[in-house]
Amino acid sequence: MPNHQIVTPAEHADLRVHVGAGAALGDAVMACIAVPAEFRRLAVDYPILFRQDEESGAFSALALFGFEPGENLFLDGNDWDAVNRPLAMVVQPFLVGRSRDGDGPGQVHIDMDHPRVSHSGEGMRLFEPSGVATPYLEQIADLLGALDGSHRASGDFYAALSRYDLLEPFSMDVTLDNGAMHRLVGYHLIAEERLAALEPGVLSELHAAGHLLPIYMAVASVGNLTRLVRRKNKRGDG
Amino acid sequence: MTGETPYRVVIVGGGSAGWLTACVLAARRPGLAITLVESPDIPTIGVGEGTWPTMRETLANIGISESEFLVACDAAFKQGSRFDGWVTGEAGDSYLHPFTLPPAGDTAALLHAWAAMAPGMPFAAAMTAQAAACARDLAPRQRTMPDYGGALNYAYHFDAGKFARLLGRHATQRLGVTHIAADVVATQGAPNGDIEALVLGDGRTLAADLFIDCTGQAARLIGGHCGVAWIDRSTVSFNDRALAAQVPVLPGSPVASQTIGTAHRAGWIWDIALPTRRGIGCVYSSRFMADDEADAVLRAHVAAHVSGVDVAALSPRKLSFATGHRARFWQGNVVAVGLSAGFIEPLEASAIVLIELSARALAEALPASPAVMAVQAKRFNDQFRTRWERIIAFLKLHYVLSQRSEPYWLAQRDPATIPERLAEDLVLWREQPPSARDFPLHDEMFPAASQHYILYGMGYGLPLPPPAPAITAAAARIAEVQERARRITAALPDNRSYLAAIAAQAA
Repeated sequence: MPNHQIVTPAEHADLRVHVGAGAALGDAVMACIAVPAEFRRLAVDYPILFRQDEESGAFSALALFGFEPGENLFLDGNDWDAVNRPLAMVVQPFLVGRSRDGDGPGQVHIDMDHPRVSHSGEGMRLFEPSGVATPYLEQIADLLGALDGSHRASGDFYAALSRYDLLEPFSMDVTLDNGAMHRLVGYHLIAEERLAALEPGVLSELHAAGHLLPIYMAVASVGNLTRLVRRKNKRGDG
Repeated sequence: MTGETPYRVVIVGGGSAGWLTACVLAARRPGLAITLVESPDIPTIGVGEGTWPTMRETLANIGISESEFLVACDAAFKQGSRFDGWVTGEAGDSYLHPFTLPPAGDTAALLHAWAAMAPGMPFAAAMTAQAAACARDLAPRQRTMPDYGGALNYAYHFDAGKFARLLGRHATQRLGVTHIAADVVATQGAPNGDIEALVLGDGRTLAADLFIDCTGQAARLIGGHCGVAWIDRSTVSFNDRALAAQVPVLPGSPVASQTIGTAHRAGWIWDIALPTRRGIGCVYSSRFMADDEADAVLRAHVAAHVSGVDVAALSPRKLSFATGHRARFWQGNVVAVGLSAGFIEPLEASAIVLIELSARALAEALPASPAVMAVQAKRFNDQFRTRWERIIAFLKLHYVLSQRSEPYWLAQRDPATIPERLAEDLVLWREQPPSARDFPLHDEMFPAASQHYILYGMGYGLPLPPPAPAITAAAARIAEVQERARRITAALPDNRSYLAAIAAQAA
């Protein structure tokens, strides 16, 4: 049972959260969820791949950090070597909580078992002594709102991708300099040929709905796979 | 001393002054042959345990890592000085002189914006986020920051004995300084008045091109050999006694972010927080207070300000000191660094920074051939004479703005005791705030901003107002400071947590 709590000044007056990067802070993961609204920012650094949930058939996007579970090739000690970090990583250990009926405004929740929760007196405070939220918590609330809003809006985006059949399965064998092999399977990419063949009316519709930009950003991001392989080769650990 | 013969420097005395000078010279001028000779049995006197922010650059330059220094010297961060009871002595009378500068720009505009926006807010709190950090006992940096970098400007409090030992190890093991444990029993003079060699207790002689006198108040070389006159400054700076106590603290108790100087009826009390203890001492003028009275003042203060202490068990050490400095600090081939050069009460922790500045200036000047030595000496003397004048005037400023009415405080404000230059400044500052024009040297000890913190912290009248648009612009900068204060106080750990974390890391 995860230990999630609603963040309140009464409960968390002195709580601090580690904001740096590091494996010990839960950053050693090979991918995280990415929302369409951040594709533009993420395409600078990460390959954005799509994944289909086997049960529901719903698609979601991932920013890829490595080629095997627990591998984050952007992590270098306490540095996250990228221009931007995905929102889903930045907001940790916070999450959006909702009342039971699932409606109404989201609340800021925190996973108290997350390694980012500080027990050393170091890290960012959530509240000022007066009980007012610190600028850090204000920023987290904004980012959670952005993440949540974009997540909710992403249904339309994936519906449009399905409607025009713009995703296609993708797998890739990665051969490293040392001969080791890694295989990426079960992912999807934007189907570029079908994208190129879309009628002007459809393009116009996608553009008007704000979907065209994230689609092209996802296309562009695939070039980052090569850079990720290069990072992997530099590590030299196969 | 030309050609292959290395330039020989001999430092006499192994306290903070001697070892710090040795490290700075050796790190900066590796070609010098540096020998430090210290008596095997003179205990080191800890001359104040507070530094200036300059110490960060000094330590970085001599190649000691910050965490090594902090752990080895039982050190803590110092972000400025707080002065309690200096204006009226009434409850709530307190102001801060932080190390972080006010926002850049028109000082008069900042002052009037402050008065208009937040007249109830202390001047320092309006001018820098450091005030909020100090109020909450926060460290000026996070552990992930690079060594000697911080979110706020800072210096240190440390155990001066441990500091000298760390520097001694560093100098001898990593910087190639030769250490001789021996008494200096005599000096051998040259016809021109220089020192040719020292005669050591074991009969050896030690020759050098330059001798640095770090023998403390004894001033064996600059006073004893050279006979350079001592200039007494006690007519301006009255305090001549201190009772120094080491007070243990409870584990986990907060570690203050600044030196606290609390005024009493005939002087003031310092309070310097280290991780394991607080150095608390009563400074006073023997003309106005007897030793037993000072002892009672000290014990009452400790009882009121430190929890869990058996006040009766304290055994304060009594120090007597003369306030003043040498007429010249560099004479012939002898340079005085540290207490041998001069002493004044530790109100703004000027002792150690003067050692750093002297050592840096020497590193720039050396090696010096006999032909240029006299010129180097003259420049050095002019520079440090000015520094002493500035220090004496700046410390006096803390007293002349007081409204306290005890005889000691009235005497401090007697115009006959106020340096002429300071008296002129105070006239000028009724209409204009202190500015770089009043402190024009490129390396002023106390720039205009320091004067601002004292002057307006103590409630000096505001200068003439600038035009309204300038005040509006300044108000925006003060608002930025407040926003920054919110951000950094959320991010910085408290001192206790920070120091515990690095101690655990080192263990």
